Amino acid sequence: MGPTSLHRRPAGRQDAFVAAREADWKALDALLTDDRALHRQPRAELARFGALYRALCADLMRARSAGMSADLVGWLDGLTARAHDALYGSRRVRVVDLADHLLRAFPRALRRQRRALAWAAALFLVPLVVSVVATLVWDGFAQRMVSPLVLEQMAQSYADPLDGRAAGTNAGMTGFYVHNNVGIAFRCFATGLLFGLGSVFFLVYNGVVMGTVVAWVALAGHGRNILTFICGHGAFELTAIVIAGAAGLSMGDALLRPGDRGRFASVRARGPELVRLVAGAAAMLLVAAVIEAWWSPSAIPAPVKWAVGAAFALGVGLWLALGGRR
Amino acid sequence: MEVTPIDTVATIEAPEHVRFDHRLAGPAQRGAAFLVDALIRVAVVLLLWRLIGTGLVGDDAPVGVLLVAAFLLEWGYFVAFEMLWSGRSPGKRVFGLRVVKQDGRPIGFVDSVLRNLLRAVDYLPAFYALGALASALDPQFRRLGDQAAGTLVVRVSRARSDDRVAVEPPPTAAELAALPPRPALSADELRALEDYLRRVGTLSPAREDELADLIAPALAARMGGLTYGSASRFLALLYHRATVG
Repeated sequence: MGPTSLHRRPAGRQDAFVAAREADWKALDALLTDDRALHRQPRAELARFGALYRALCADLMRARSAGMSADLVGWLDGLTARAHDALYGSRRVRVVDLADHLLRAFPRALRRQRRALAWAAALFLVPLVVSVVATLVWDGFAQRMVSPLVLEQMAQSYADPLDGRAAGTNAGMTGFYVHNNVGIAFRCFATGLLFGLGSVFFLVYNGVVMGTVVAWVALAGHGRNILTFICGHGAFELTAIVIAGAAGLSMGDALLRPGDRGRFASVRARGPELVRLVAGAAAMLLVAAVIEAWWSPSAIPAPVKWAVGAAFALGVGLWLALGGRR
Repeated sequence: MEVTPIDTVATIEAPEHVRFDHRLAGPAQRGAAFLVDALIRVAVVLLLWRLIGTGLVGDDAPVGVLLVAAFLLEWGYFVAFEMLWSGRSPGKRVFGLRVVKQDGRPIGFVDSVLRNLLRAVDYLPAFYALGALASALDPQFRRLGDQAAGTLVVRVSRARSDDRVAVEPPPTAAELAALPPRPALSADELRALEDYLRRVGTLSPAREDELADLIAPALAARMGGLTYGSASRFLALLYHRATVG
C-alpha cells in the first residue's frame, strides 16, 4: 500500500464491521478452543467450520485492505492462523501404519538407498576386518585403539563360558542396551548433517572398536565365547548400525549434491525416506537389545545359539531383501 | 517491486490465498522454553528414581527401567508432545510457542522426528553451540534441525480485538474542532500512528516527543498548516479524529 491509497475512514466503520461479524468469529473461536476435537465434531459442525473459516479469510483481507486497526487485523490474523492449522491438520500416527512401515516401506526405502547402504557397510566392515587382522598380527595395535583397561575388562568378562545370569541383571542390561545402542544409532544418523562426516566417524569408530575387542578376546583364548555371545543379536544390531549410518550418509549426500534445490531443501525432500530408515534401524535395535540381554548371555548350548543366530541372520536378510516386493 | 521489511514475521499463504503472519520466536524465548522442558525431564527421572530406586538396591532391573525412561525422555519427549499438542512441548506451551511447517501447516510426524533427532547435531560441541550459531545466521532463527526439517518456531498470537488505543486524557471538543473533520491519512500512516500510540507510556517523554516530531510537522503541513503544542498530543488527537470522529 503506497501513499496513493489515501482514503478517509468514516467514524464507526470498523465498529460496524466488528459488530456485524463478531458473532461468527466468536463461533469459530469456540470451535477452535479444543483443536483436537475438531475432527470429532458432527458433520454439520464441520461444514459450518469450513464456511466460517472462508468467511474469516475474506474478513481478514477486507480488514487489511480497509486499513482497520492493527489490533483487529492482528487478532483476525491469529484466528485465521489457528483455524487454518486445525483445518489442514496433520494425519495421526496409527499402529497399523507402523506395522506396514516396518514390513514394507522400510525394506523398500533401504533398497532405494542401496548406494548409501553399500558405502556405510564398507565404512563399517573394512575398519572392522582391518582391526581384527591388525590386532592379531601387530603387538600394541589393540592398546592404541581401545584403552587397555577396557580390553582387560572385556577379556575377563568372556573368560568363563556363558552360563546365564539373574533375570534382574538381564532386565537392567535391556535398559542399558536400549539407552546406549539406539542413542548411538540416532547420533550416527544425526551427525550426517555435518556433510556426512559424523556418520563416517561413527561407522569407522564402531568398526574399529568392535574388531579390536573381538580379536583381543580371541587372542586371550575366549574367541568362542564372545562369538557365541554376539551371534544371536549380531544380525539385528550390526545391520541396524550400518542402516543408521547409511541414513546419515544419504543426508550428507543430499547436502553435498543438492541438484537444483537449496541444500536444506534437498534434505527436506529426502526427509521421509531418512526417517523411514532411522525408524527401522531403531526398531531393529530394540529387538537386538532384548536378544542381547536375555538370549545371548544365557546358558543355552552354543550349537543352538549358532543355529538360531543363523536363522536370525537369514530372516533379517530375507525381510530386508524381499519385504514390500510384489 | 514490494520491499520486504526486515522483521521477525513469517508470512504464510493459505490455500484460500489469504496471507497471514506468524511472529517468529527468538532465541531467548526458545532457550527459556527448552530450559522448562529440560527441568521437567530431569524431574521425571528423579521422581522415577525415588519411586523405584529405593527398596530394590542390588537389583539391576530398576536401573534398566530408569535407562529406558531416560532414553524415551531424551529422544521421544519432544516428538510425543509435538504430535499430541500440535507442535507444542510443555515448555513451548508455557511461553506461547509452537512449531509449524514453513508453509504454516501443522508439523507432521516426519518433520517432528527429523527436527528432534537433529538436536544431537545442534547440541554440538556443547550446550547447543552449533544450533545457536545456525539460528543467529538464519533470518528466521532456525537451528539446523529446523532448517533440515523445514519447520519454524512461532509465537501463538493472543492479541484481543477489543483493545483499542485510548487517548489520555480524553480529547476535548475544542481540541477536536481544531482538526479537520476527516483527516486525510493513508492506511499505513494510521497504522504507524497506532503503533506509536501503543508505545506511549513505555517510552520516556523526551523520546516520545522526538519520535512524534518526525512525522507531526509533515502531517500538520498537509492539514493546512495546523499549529500544535505537543507533537505527541497532536498525533493522538489526529488518530482519534480519524478513527472515532
